[in-house]
Amino acid sequence: MDPGTMKLLAVGLAASLGLMGPALAIGLIGFSALQGIARNPEASGPIMTNMILVTAFAEAIGIYALIIAIILAMIV
Amino acid sequence: MPRKGCLGCSFPVIILVVVILLALFVIGFLSGPLGKSMFGDLGLPFGTERPIPSLPAETAFELFGFPIANSVVGAWITIIILVVFSYLVTRRMKIIPGRLQGLFESLLGWLYNFCKNVAGEENGRRFFPVVATIFLFVAFNAWLSLIPGFGSIEIINPEGHHIHLIRGANTDINMPLALALASFCFVEFFGLKTLGIRYLSKFLNVGQFFRSLGQIFKGKVKAGLSGLITGAIMIIVGILETLSEFVRIVSFTFRLFGNMTAGEILLLIAIFLIPWLFALPFYGLELLVGFVQALIFAGLTLVFLTLATAHH
Repeated sequence: MDPGTMKLLAVGLAASLGLMGPALAIGLIGFSALQGIARNPEASGPIMTNMILVTAFAEAIGIYALIIAIILAMIV
Repeated sequence: MPRKGCLGCSFPVIILVVVILLALFVIGFLSGPLGKSMFGDLGLPFGTERPIPSLPAETAFELFGFPIANSVVGAWITIIILVVFSYLVTRRMKIIPGRLQGLFESLLGWLYNFCKNVAGEENGRRFFPVVATIFLFVAFNAWLSLIPGFGSIEIINPEGHHIHLIRGANTDINMPLALALASFCFVEFFGLKTLGIRYLSKFLNVGQFFRSLGQIFKGKVKAGLSGLITGAIMIIVGILETLSEFVRIVSFTFRLFGNMTAGEILLLIAIFLIPWLFALPFYGLELLVGFVQALIFAGLTLVFLTLATAHH
């Protein structure tokens, strides 16, 4: 397999495998946030604030994977 | 008699708008690379060239022998706009505000309430300048890089390459790094100022270890030994805390840099694939992402400041 094909394969794998984890994490965060709001609708303000905060952490990991894919595709 | 359609316009107007949008979309599709590969080259001159993103910022011009990058020019424009707006708003402040003053009062009031909700009453007041500065700088950097002119004006730089004159400041990795270092320094400063030198006992957690050593020498061997093991664990926890303080810098940098650069590349590729109309939803996404990333940077700084100044 020549390096060009390998590079395309690497870009695809980096992007897809790296973004599975954060997607699952954000889904779980939303799940627990909605459960909390369903139990206690008056606390929806603080729950939403904390949900967005933790989602930022999970999203950052996905962005790391995206950066690696972009660097592989366009610069290497 | 034109009937009332949706959005308050009459039906003929709506049909006209939809037809114009469809025409723009079809022309853009045919002149981009997708249309060219499907229908052949029709000679429409509206295509753009393939974007070549370069992650390090290029030198734009030389100032007194000092090379200035094009993202620094973008940061200067943000600073000028922020300073001019602040001057205009506070020039003749009235008790019942006019429109511009009211707009900025509502924005800063919302930020102040956010600080007070997270950090408490008096801590919110102390941390508000740092948090508001970081939020406004990052948000205006992100929003101003969507204006036409950023990334379209081409010049020839002193090294002879064709580069863009202005680039959004958040897409250069040095700017998020500088903001992350500033946030780190402020967290340590406020922690040391509030708690004194005892703030460092969070990182060098050797009190328990030496206390249990003293217990062994005084004769209480069993309690001393269990305390010794707990003390060793506390030392390792202290080392992990120190490490997490430094990893925070890396995480801040790459979160902001990654979001902004990915958004810029997404916009460039969207404009390249189908010119003229396909990029509009991504513009909306970029507005939202700029605001959310600024809020997250400022909000996380606020959370770490609150944690650093919490009394045990």
